[in-house]
Amino acid sequence: MNAAIEYWPFGVYVGAVVVVIAGKLLASHFLGERHRERVTGEAYESGILPTGTGRLRFSIKFFLIAILFVIFDLELVFIFAWAVAIHELGWPGFWGLMVFMGILTVGLIYEWRMGSLDWIPRRPANKRSRPSTLSSKPEPTR
Amino acid sequence: MNPADLQALLPILIVAGGALLVMLVLSFKRSQTLSSLLTLLSLAAALASIPMAMSADADRIAPLLVIDSFGFFYQGLMLILTMVVTIFAHSYLEKFRMERGEFYILLLLSLVGAIALAQASHFVSLFLGIELLSVSLYIMVGYIFTRAKAIEAAVKYLFLAAVTSAFLLFGMALIYARLGSMDFITIAHLLREHPLDDPYLLAGSVLMFVGIGFKLSVVPFHQWTPDIYQGAPAPVTGYLATVSKIAVMAVTLRFFYSMDLHQQPGIAAALTLIAAASMLVGNLLALFQDNVKRLLAYSSIAHIGYILVAFIAGGERGPEAVTFYLSIYSLALLAAFGVIAYLSPSDRDSDTIDHYRGLFWSRPWIAVAFSIALFSLIGLPLTAGFMGKLFLVSAGIQAEEWLLVIWLAANSAIGLYYYLRIVIAMYQTSDDPQSEDSTAPPFALIIGTVIGLLVLSIVWFGLHPESLNLWIRALSTQP
Repeated sequence: MNAAIEYWPFGVYVGAVVVVIAGKLLASHFLGERHRERVTGEAYESGILPTGTGRLRFSIKFFLIAILFVIFDLELVFIFAWAVAIHELGWPGFWGLMVFMGILTVGLIYEWRMGSLDWIPRRPANKRSRPSTLSSKPEPTR
Repeated sequence: MNPADLQALLPILIVAGGALLVMLVLSFKRSQTLSSLLTLLSLAAALASIPMAMSADADRIAPLLVIDSFGFFYQGLMLILTMVVTIFAHSYLEKFRMERGEFYILLLLSLVGAIALAQASHFVSLFLGIELLSVSLYIMVGYIFTRAKAIEAAVKYLFLAAVTSAFLLFGMALIYARLGSMDFITIAHLLREHPLDDPYLLAGSVLMFVGIGFKLSVVPFHQWTPDIYQGAPAPVTGYLATVSKIAVMAVTLRFFYSMDLHQQPGIAAALTLIAAASMLVGNLLALFQDNVKRLLAYSSIAHIGYILVAFIAGGERGPEAVTFYLSIYSLALLAAFGVIAYLSPSDRDSDTIDHYRGLFWSRPWIAVAFSIALFSLIGLPLTAGFMGKLFLVSAGIQAEEWLLVIWLAANSAIGLYYYLRIVIAMYQTSDDPQSEDSTAPPFALIIGTVIGLLVLSIVWFGLHPESLNLWIRALSTQP
């Protein structure tokens, strides 16, 4: 009986998890649209009829830039945390951060050499099948 | 972090530095051979640094890692096995026209996680190690992205591993909520005052074992094993089945033994059930497989069940037997996956039993090596597998776990049947001309030599088990 009193916050937590998940599923079950008409599946564009398909081809570059941004943006968080405590950490902290920056620099060099930072592709699209083209010889830029 | 600490961390630092070096060199010179040579070199350097690291005047990198000979033994074992995987992967990937050098970066990074796990003594290093090990493995499993099966395996592994990581984390959180510590040693002290039937601790340890059990693929958490073993490229499967399991087993040994969890009545009963179920389910399902990789996957579930017998038994012989069996099992399994990698053409892995029909008549040496590896997995005398099983059984008898020992013996008999099916197929005369093609893989001589060395070591340790056991006894008495 004593245990039941001691653990009530955990019980509430477990109960809340069940209630929230069940609530979401039930709410979408009862509130969700389930009728199927001719234009139900169409996207709503302020009353204008949508044209064409939504399955467009985007350049993979957008994805790549987004990933690179996330990586280098997150680095900043760690450096900021170090900068706030710079006096307390002293030289060991400095060298620790230098190691961290060194690892990131290797990553940056790799990205750069792999051509991830070139906005305009240097050669036709089928480069995946020809690894030998990524040699150290710089190709003429257009 | 003083110089002695850095010296004790040399193996981890060298492997991590090796990953960076391979990455840097890869950005200027794309050559698979160069990448794999650098990988081998950094693995060898890490292996050579172990004696130096052992002489370091440090016993703890507080609070994350503990420096002891147990950890160094497992690190050495994993470094050697990864060297073998590197050689297999080099020959295997040579057949594919794709970016191959990155494979070695991933291999080294996941090894950093694995060897850190061997020294982990804190929930944080346990979790970091497991994640570092698995995140690289997700990509390695799906590395041959032109195969639909590989992508399927990678996605399955990613989702299941992510879900079980959540279990592991929540279990850690519950234990931390109760005891206020994430350090194994402090927890062990606190547990002496707290009864383990406390709901937080019980729920926490059960949830943590779900996470660990997934990585070890023991029975209720085993469903992913066959699909991922089948879909992954043969060298990666070899790595997944040996290094990843050794690392998790090492940290589980340390975790359970530092707080004597395996001797708590409730947990011991659960472990016994899991061990018995793993042996039975793994062996029974392996009976129905025609695919060699799936068969080895199911049998690996059974082998972890065997290992758990000594794990539960504990005492003096328990950890010794676990370590011995893991080493021997890994050598035999890597030899088997080496043979599969050797025989696989580039379009698919040759993994059905039909591929091996009549192998002896076209490639006698490979067939003999494969047979010896399978004999060791069965546990036939004169191979190391027999000595491994003997140690497991003697650890079980010492702890008077009679039922488990009898169960182990009965299940080994089932194992005999499905392993021998492959062996018999290899010595039949083949009337299918398709399996007669004998194009050797790239670097056939090197990979053949490595398989030969593995097989020789299996036979050597079968005849002279004391040579390995002395090492284990000297090094790993204190998990």
